[in-house]
Amino acid sequence: MKRFKVFFNIEKEEQWLEEQLQKGYRCTSISGLGIYTFEQTDKQYVIRLDYQDYLSKQKFAEYKGIYEDFGWTHIRGSRLSGIQRWQKEDNGQNEIFSDRQSRASYYKRLMNYSLWLGMICLAYSFMLYSDSPLYHEGLWSMEGSLFWKALLFETPFVLLKLLPALMAIVLGSSCYKAYQKYSMLKNL
Amino acid sequence: MKHKLLPLSETMHYILLALREPLHGYAVMQKIEKMSNGTVILAAGTLYGAIENLNKHGWIEPVENSGRKKTYRITTEGSAVLKMEQERLLHILSLYEGREANEEV
Repeated sequence: MKRFKVFFNIEKEEQWLEEQLQKGYRCTSISGLGIYTFEQTDKQYVIRLDYQDYLSKQKFAEYKGIYEDFGWTHIRGSRLSGIQRWQKEDNGQNEIFSDRQSRASYYKRLMNYSLWLGMICLAYSFMLYSDSPLYHEGLWSMEGSLFWKALLFETPFVLLKLLPALMAIVLGSSCYKAYQKYSMLKNL
Repeated sequence: MKHKLLPLSETMHYILLALREPLHGYAVMQKIEKMSNGTVILAAGTLYGAIENLNKHGWIEPVENSGRKKTYRITTEGSAVLKMEQERLLHILSLYEGREANEEV
């Protein structure tokens, strides 16, 4: 089974993956373009997502080594920075974090990541929108059906142009959610 | 100012105690499970992060030529931290037993 999905929020992705696994699937691969491949299985699997900043080759090998010793299989994740996806057979020990401190620092990493990516999107949006207006200027002087046709034609491009701003909003809200969880764990 | 890892969390405490003998990551988890009579079972991400953190602060260090799996052991600094924590906990224990509290009253 193949599914195409795009996520801007790591916890939503984890949730969705867990739902697929609960239906009796296991994930076999995730491509960079957002194609998730599953196969049917009699066994019950669990999937957990971790976030790590840049890791050197050596550190990445150590990171993977420890998880693999615990029975996790690395599905996808780049050592340069990003989301690490881990899957394993359900055996009762299904969490990747076993104490409050490590769960709090996971949310802190997530918070910083969304913050930076969000800022980049925001800066990029400003550059994009200050250079040129969203719609072609000549559009507003057109009349009748020509105006509507031109508007219809341009709108998809405008939506595309708005994408970085939308991403900045989504990332901003992920950052805030991660911050809430982080401060809750921190102040318990 | 107090070090940000102090007082030691249960996880950090057990890891430092376990690493009084050189061990690799998974063996640390197994030893801690035994030491704690099965009450503390570390997860992979927690163990990786704790080892990173303790190593960064110089409380544990990798043992040279340890082969494919990196082996760590406690440093002198780490042992000093344990000693300090032991004194703190002994004091608390003495309060439990009511020795010092009774003297005051």
